Amino acid sequence: MKSAHKKAIFSKVIIYVILIIIALAMIVPFLWMLSASIKSDREVFQMNPFVWIPENPKWSNYSEIWTKIPFGKFIQNTVFLTIVVTCLQLLTSSFAAYAFGKLKFKYKNALFMAYLSTIAMPWQVYMVPQFIMMRKMGLNDKLLAIICLQAFSAFGVFMMKQFYEGIPDELCEAARIDGMSEYRIYANIMLPLSKPALSTLTIFTFVTTWNDYLGPLIYLKSQEKKTIQLGLKMFIGQYSSDYGLIMAGSVISLIPVLIVFLILQRYFVEGVASTGLKG
Amino acid sequence: MEKITAANVDTYQSELNALIVKIRTEADEKQKKKDLTRIDLLQRKISAFRTGSKVSRSTKRDLVAYSFIAPNFIGFAIFTLIPIVFAFLLAFMTWDGSNPIEWAGLSNFKKLASDTHFIAALKNTIIYCVGTVPLTMIMSLALAIVLNQKVIGRGIFRTLSFFPYVASLVAITSVWKMLFHPSKGPINNILLNVFGVAQDNLPQWFSGGLVMVSMILFSVWKYMGYYMVIYLAGLQGISGELYEAASLDGANTWQKFLYVTWPQLASTTFFVIVMLTINCFKVYDVAIMLAGGGKGELTLNSTVLVYYIYEKAFVEWKLGYSSAIAMVLFALVLIVTIIQFRGQKKYAE
Amino acid sequence: MKKKLVSMLMVAAMMATMVAGCGDSADGGDDSAAADNTTGDAAPAATETAPADDAAGAEAVTLKWAIWDQETTTYWQALADAYMVANPGVTIEMVDLGSADYMTVLATELSGEGSDFDVVTIKDVPGYATLVQKNAILPLDDYIAADGVDLTQYAGTTDQVTVDGKLYELPFRNDFWVLFYNKDIFDAAGVDYPTNDMTWEEYDALAREVTDTTFGSQVYGAHYHTWRSTIGLMGVLDGQHTILDGDYSFMKEYYDMVLAEEADGVCRSYSDLTTEGLHYSAAFTSGDTAMMNMGSWFISTMINNLASGEYDSSLCGNWGIVKYPHAEGVEAGSTLGTITGLAVTAASDTPDEAWDFVKWVSGTEGAQVMADTGNFPAIMTDEVMSTITGLEGFPTDDNSKAALEVSNLYLEVPYAENVSEINSILDTYHAMIMNGECTVDEGIESMNTEIGAILGQ
Repeated sequence: MKSAHKKAIFSKVIIYVILIIIALAMIVPFLWMLSASIKSDREVFQMNPFVWIPENPKWSNYSEIWTKIPFGKFIQNTVFLTIVVTCLQLLTSSFAAYAFGKLKFKYKNALFMAYLSTIAMPWQVYMVPQFIMMRKMGLNDKLLAIICLQAFSAFGVFMMKQFYEGIPDELCEAARIDGMSEYRIYANIMLPLSKPALSTLTIFTFVTTWNDYLGPLIYLKSQEKKTIQLGLKMFIGQYSSDYGLIMAGSVISLIPVLIVFLILQRYFVEGVASTGLKG
Repeated sequence: MEKITAANVDTYQSELNALIVKIRTEADEKQKKKDLTRIDLLQRKISAFRTGSKVSRSTKRDLVAYSFIAPNFIGFAIFTLIPIVFAFLLAFMTWDGSNPIEWAGLSNFKKLASDTHFIAALKNTIIYCVGTVPLTMIMSLALAIVLNQKVIGRGIFRTLSFFPYVASLVAITSVWKMLFHPSKGPINNILLNVFGVAQDNLPQWFSGGLVMVSMILFSVWKYMGYYMVIYLAGLQGISGELYEAASLDGANTWQKFLYVTWPQLASTTFFVIVMLTINCFKVYDVAIMLAGGGKGELTLNSTVLVYYIYEKAFVEWKLGYSSAIAMVLFALVLIVTIIQFRGQKKYAE
Repeated sequence: MKKKLVSMLMVAAMMATMVAGCGDSADGGDDSAAADNTTGDAAPAATETAPADDAAGAEAVTLKWAIWDQETTTYWQALADAYMVANPGVTIEMVDLGSADYMTVLATELSGEGSDFDVVTIKDVPGYATLVQKNAILPLDDYIAADGVDLTQYAGTTDQVTVDGKLYELPFRNDFWVLFYNKDIFDAAGVDYPTNDMTWEEYDALAREVTDTTFGSQVYGAHYHTWRSTIGLMGVLDGQHTILDGDYSFMKEYYDMVLAEEADGVCRSYSDLTTEGLHYSAAFTSGDTAMMNMGSWFISTMINNLASGEYDSSLCGNWGIVKYPHAEGVEAGSTLGTITGLAVTAASDTPDEAWDFVKWVSGTEGAQVMADTGNFPAIMTDEVMSTITGLEGFPTDDNSKAALEVSNLYLEVPYAENVSEINSILDTYHAMIMNGECTVDEGIESMNTEIGAILGQ
């Protein structure tokens, strides 16, 4: 009995040691960002010896990014885009995924393959025809263009569908037998159960839209419509660059992402298991 | 087809009622499924009789389903599907984005066969996928299982694992390159001083044959937090009762994993593998950041398919040819997905 | 599909006849120009003629101009302002597409029809080739002839971007390569400064002489940034070879020279540089680099950053420039150049006004604005030259001033139909040679076969 107890403690210790090593490996890039954000451009890439805290920390990087470019405006645009895209994505994807995961209908497999196959296409391949089409619709240089591009992604549908498939059919069947309409089954049974998946999708959509570069690059041209990622690229000029400023901007733009993640990660434990499936 | 009469509707109804009672207590999964199908059929027959039409029921069912799909599908079809179908057709044409499109037949595909750069890109991309997909999957699953336990500071550890995915690519490649720097990096210094590898034989991690190894390790590090999140969500779907039952049967940790966790995660794993495969085939910026030369150019040892697609499309404006390359990428992803799909189905049965 | 093709050809043919029909009323009244038009560029010519008639009314015109790095580049705003002062009826609206992916965004924007840009900046020749082949920009020859623009003042650069006898851009900025050096390092080593007339052998010997490989106090005699231009293009300065040759054995001796320098610690290794992502300015300003070949754009960077204190003047404040080294038997002052040009889009509703802006920026007035902001305009007059050499912080020795005199200018990339593809192949094998992934001979052999196949098509 005593040795079993010892063994348990031993394995606990091992787990923590591994976790701490992994955590260190994971946090180093962030520390590098913090360190680079208070350096001048020349210092950023000097590796020998690598200095984590520069002699003269350049805190002014954090104030300069607001004056050198309209960073506030860029943040505002990015926040707007990210919130709208994430909401639309969550709503429409989970809705469509319910049909793919839990309903039987004609052309189901064909439609699903249409979704799935588009994920495999690199955007670079259809970017030009898409751009020409969007411009004909008058969407060039409009924030709406990015919303249209990002809000209906196949990824969300695929992810939610896989998750719904993991929820036992009995739940829906029971509700159906009780005479519930499909819409009510979706709203009253599936949605509450899919908190982990929804929060996962929220995080992924949030991060993707927040960090998107190519989409805004092609579609958003006027200064007052640009996003954070485009703004950060402005510090890499044709003949000069300022990685200190880029990193200061990156650190600031990372904060909302981390907050969203921290808030949502606790929903991972409030899924099916805790609501009691068989009840 | 049997004729539905008022008389057998009554027998259907009573059979249905019996089944509904039975199914609530049914333990055998297979039998349950059978019963459910039967219930569905009976309900349909009854309602067909009552509404006087058999078609309307299934049409109504389809319409309900389509109404669920429509909000997403309409946006998706207009903004993504149509341009993609167009890009599909482009593979058989020559176009530079402005001048009239010309029919090219299969000539784009024929050219691929003798294109050294394409063959190198294809080979590298496949090597990269074969290395990255299983490694990332195993690492992210292991991490998810550990972080699904009651560990102190679990939320912090989860957030930290997600860091490399959200941190700027410049930052994480810089850290990686610092570690593996050919002459100043600690890894090569250990090889030099501890293992006595000669100065001239120190590995060049970012060029030559090792660049793919470097890219694979880097990607596992960067993306395992991302797939861990998906696995974490999937793990919540497993009922605690299954583990309790397994414990009662005297299963050890490994057996619990093998007989409960792994099968229950089948649909999550399918998703993870398909997404990993697709994302690996689409690898692009990681290659450029790790192995790109002065203007981001990649050598034959480090070039990948999407880099080549980008070159052909936006540097040379051969949109037809780049579409043809994308078709090859698409076919590869499709094959992997179908194999996975079959495997998952077989496993489920 | 065939049907569509036929109809497209018909539209093109119709446009061609339309142009021929109204050739008399065309701007400049040049009949032969209209007749010369092939069906390929008939479309832009047709749009060009239409608004010419009603351009007489002096209403306010807005020109949309594609640029990059608006926040950090001094001359865009200065040029636009100066032009608007001289032409009150015209408003110049600048659109910043960013420098990193400028040509990609621009070419996407000009794909299909319906772009609202009037004037676009051409960043590099491969991008220029793309836009010309897409028929997205107008040939300027008729305008040039009508307004009597003297092309000889562009030092032969316009000839190198002429396509089938037609010119589609006018350069307004011209950067050429010189050799930067750190005088303090030469003084400390007791070695003579580089001169304005050096062969590559002399340069190599000098770099080796000033090098110090002592651990802890290394001095690199030379520095080559990771671009292909820094090494691969040393060979085109004799005027005999270009990157469009199809035979690249002329590059061998230069690759051999640099690789030998790398092996002997005379310069930093290519793979270290790409791993670190070391910017050339950081390499030169850290005080351990004796010489570096780089474009003249770096002159104003040096001046401005030394003045602002960003660069440590105790490490690199005592700097100078000399003419690019050259091969045996070649005139000193032969160097590489890169032009930045302006073009009028085919989609512009006001091509005449757009042309006027292009002509002004590329002309002597624009050149003076460029020089005032410390940049090298495409037109080098004595006045421009003295403006630049008179800048506060420009090296004061006579050699540095004389280094700006260029005798032969060869574009890094001249125009060719497949120039983008040739460029990427050369880049790939450059990186492979420098990484040691293949030998110099193997790399050049691959360049020869692959580019030979493209040129032979």
